[in-house]
Amino acid sequence: MRRWLPWCGFGVLFLGVGLLAELSWRHARLCLPEIGRRQLEPTVGQGVLLGTLGGFRTVVADFTWIRGYVLWEQKTDRAGTELLMRTACALDPRSRFFWENTGLSIANDMAHWEIRRRGGYAKVPRDIQEHVFRTYARRGLDLLDEGIVSTGGSPALLASAALVAELKLKDLALSADYYRRAAETRGAPWFAARFAAANLWKLDRRREAYNWYRAHWLKTLRLEEDGSPDDLKELRDMEQELRLPWLARLPRQSWEMAQPGLPAMPSENVTTKPSAGGQSRK
Amino acid sequence: MKAALSRCLWIARITFLEAIRQRFFAFLFVLGAVLVLSSSAIRVFDFGHSELKFIADFGFGGLFLFGSMLGVVMTAQLFFAELDNRTALTLLAKPLGRGEFLVGKFLGTWAVLGVFVIALVGLLGVMLGWRAAELAALAAERRLSPPEFDAAGLGLFALLQWLRLGVVVAMVLTVAAAARTFLFAVVVGALAVLAGQLQWLSQDLLLKPAEAGLGRAALWLLTHLLPNLQQFNLGDALVLAPHQVHDGTLPWVFASGLAYIVAFLALASFLFRRREI
Repeated sequence: MRRWLPWCGFGVLFLGVGLLAELSWRHARLCLPEIGRRQLEPTVGQGVLLGTLGGFRTVVADFTWIRGYVLWEQKTDRAGTELLMRTACALDPRSRFFWENTGLSIANDMAHWEIRRRGGYAKVPRDIQEHVFRTYARRGLDLLDEGIVSTGGSPALLASAALVAELKLKDLALSADYYRRAAETRGAPWFAARFAAANLWKLDRRREAYNWYRAHWLKTLRLEEDGSPDDLKELRDMEQELRLPWLARLPRQSWEMAQPGLPAMPSENVTTKPSAGGQSRK
Repeated sequence: MKAALSRCLWIARITFLEAIRQRFFAFLFVLGAVLVLSSSAIRVFDFGHSELKFIADFGFGGLFLFGSMLGVVMTAQLFFAELDNRTALTLLAKPLGRGEFLVGKFLGTWAVLGVFVIALVGLLGVMLGWRAAELAALAAERRLSPPEFDAAGLGLFALLQWLRLGVVVAMVLTVAAAARTFLFAVVVGALAVLAGQLQWLSQDLLLKPAEAGLGRAALWLLTHLLPNLQQFNLGDALVLAPHQVHDGTLPWVFASGLAYIVAFLALASFLFRRREI
């Protein structure tokens, strides 16, 4: 028994240190980018392991991307391309570039490769083609959704997802939702709000489109340096088409007066441009 | 106690001088330095990251790879050189405990790795600082916000890496104290480092709720016996995004690293005391 006593002592010591390390890891892992274990497992034997061990993560992600890109150019090995591209995303989940290009590649290109692999457009029936297109678009969109979460809601990824939803899935409501989320994010692309409203408009949810666009213009776009005159013009067109009464319309902006072709409005509705809005268009 | 400390430092001094003169150390240091200096030239291969992140990752990778190689090979080599040349017998015939001998070896090797880490992090700091200043000037011209670079964070990262290498050295000394050959110590030491770097996978599995069972108990035991070396890789956050480092993280990591060093050294001393030389 005495022979085993020191070993038991060391066992207890290491378990104690292990508990301390567990507490330490709970704190430390919050500062580390999440590593997608499942995505990395299939490529572990190809040098990717080095990236997960310590430094070199960015570098290994870049070289994995290059390998995936070479396969993408050959347009034959769909599985290999997707695997390497997804691995690059998993290695560096905070990089918008990898998510965006992988998502768009899956959604836009890989369905064509698949149809070509099955014998070409002439051989594959139309409805099967449509099914393949939709399947890959859905997969691309799922990947973009993952990227949106990993990058903390990148507006560029939201806009890409909106594009896939609109052009590939023909789902205007979903696309409008992505565009709306992109527009409400810091650093949103200039077209996001307009496209969100336009897609809702196309769905015949005209009043909803106008109300959201108007609220967004008042809250955000009006404060841009130029006051977002193109968006205001879109809003004016919507007001015309909705035949809104004058008092229900957006108040006329002081800098809007000089615009030719605008209908006259009651003078009490005139507001000046906010100070944060910068220079007047005059 | 004071005499024991003095004996440890004496062994440490000799070990340091012996290690710093090694060609292997110089070779790996030059390789690491070339890697850090070339990061700026090969940033054309970078996609979608900030330039500073790419340069920093190159430096962190070099520090991890060459530091680990140095930690494993040099520790085993210095330990077995004493046994093979019979100098250990001469030393231990004097009033010097085996534990003191091991602690001295550890301190000497750790000090050499400290020189390695300081030199490489210094080079990396110069590269990052130079490029950060250029990018800040460009950003000011374009009225953009300058990239974030925290030199103090780089200093903290250097300390963390030194601590990680300390755990590696203590671990390899433990293996060497029980091993019969240099090759065995190097191979098992390298595998232990690899396992330590991947230990977070099992730790993450344990943090997820699951039913208790024999497999989970074995996983728990294994996870708590192996050191988690991934927790020292906070470079990205410390250097390029200091706001991402939560309060209280660093003291926990430092405490955990030091605890592992003490535990491994205690085990190594125990094993070495039972060993026939």
